[in-house]
Amino acid sequence: MLLAYDPATNPLNTTEWAFPFFECIHIASFAMSVGTIALVDLRLLGLGIRHQTAAQLVKDTMLWTLAGLIIVITSGLVIFTSDPLRYYYNPSFRFKVICLLIAIVYNYTIHRKVAMSKAPPFANILVGGISLLLWVSIVFAGLFYAFT
Amino acid sequence: MSPAEFSQWVSGLDLFTSLRESALAYPVIMSLHLSSIAVFGGLILMTDLRLLGLAMPNMTVSDIIAQTRIWKRIGFVVMITCGVLLGGAKLDKYYDNPYFQLKLLFLLLVGVHAIVFHRSVYGNAAELDRAPAIPAIAKTAACLSLVLWISILSFGRWIAYYERPGERGAPVTSAQPVNRVSPAQ
Repeated sequence: MLLAYDPATNPLNTTEWAFPFFECIHIASFAMSVGTIALVDLRLLGLGIRHQTAAQLVKDTMLWTLAGLIIVITSGLVIFTSDPLRYYYNPSFRFKVICLLIAIVYNYTIHRKVAMSKAPPFANILVGGISLLLWVSIVFAGLFYAFT
Repeated sequence: MSPAEFSQWVSGLDLFTSLRESALAYPVIMSLHLSSIAVFGGLILMTDLRLLGLAMPNMTVSDIIAQTRIWKRIGFVVMITCGVLLGGAKLDKYYDNPYFQLKLLFLLLVGVHAIVFHRSVYGNAAELDRAPAIPAIAKTAACLSLVLWISILSFGRWIAYYERPGERGAPVTSAQPVNRVSPAQ
């Protein structure tokens, strides 16, 4: 099945505007998902946001984070179909997928749990820092794909 | 000095030449540019959605504006610094690129937007908190901000796909996004 698929027939590769269009959707939606998670992270790190608890911020951003993640992954899968084998064998892409899986699981387990509870400051800083680092690594890996 | 000569002079500067030729620095700066979009663009988006009354109900308008301001400023500086480095390194290729020109124009409009709406919206947040409903001027500011930033993002992406008339089929360099199907697949 997979072998029978010829990317050259994919509308992404035959329509001039299609590929950049999905890239724009991908970038805007990662701004939405990563940006809302970063808002919680900045609170956990104690940087800038003080009037709201991390728990309030999680509740306020939850739906937007989820919507962003769904759109970013869907647009990512569409982009992936433009050249599946190239992506599959690319080390940056593999690193990105692994980080993404870890980041999603982390976000809905440890990150959520710590943000929703009254954790000691060092736990907040650790959890918020790891979260930011994970999401930024995914952005880096996504970009480095184009250069490797 | 014509625009073409000027841009060739800029991209020929030592800093930009070494940046363009560096296999690591160029993608790292591009990644930083995108990371600042992720973190700080996200904050702009949430502020706009709050002004539209669509998100962040536990945060007052003045809370979200005041508490994210410093991060938006830092993000803006990082984003612009990286953007200048990326643009400068290829100014000779970009100066007559219509998407590049539109992006610069819209960035100017962001400045105009900030000046126009400062008194009524962004510098007037305490007043907005007291208002029974978010006034139309604040919603207008939020909508325009969304349109401006989404346009800037899209023009930015489209810069890489523009080819000067007559230069079609120019060899794809590693710094250009790779989306063409390689014939050998």
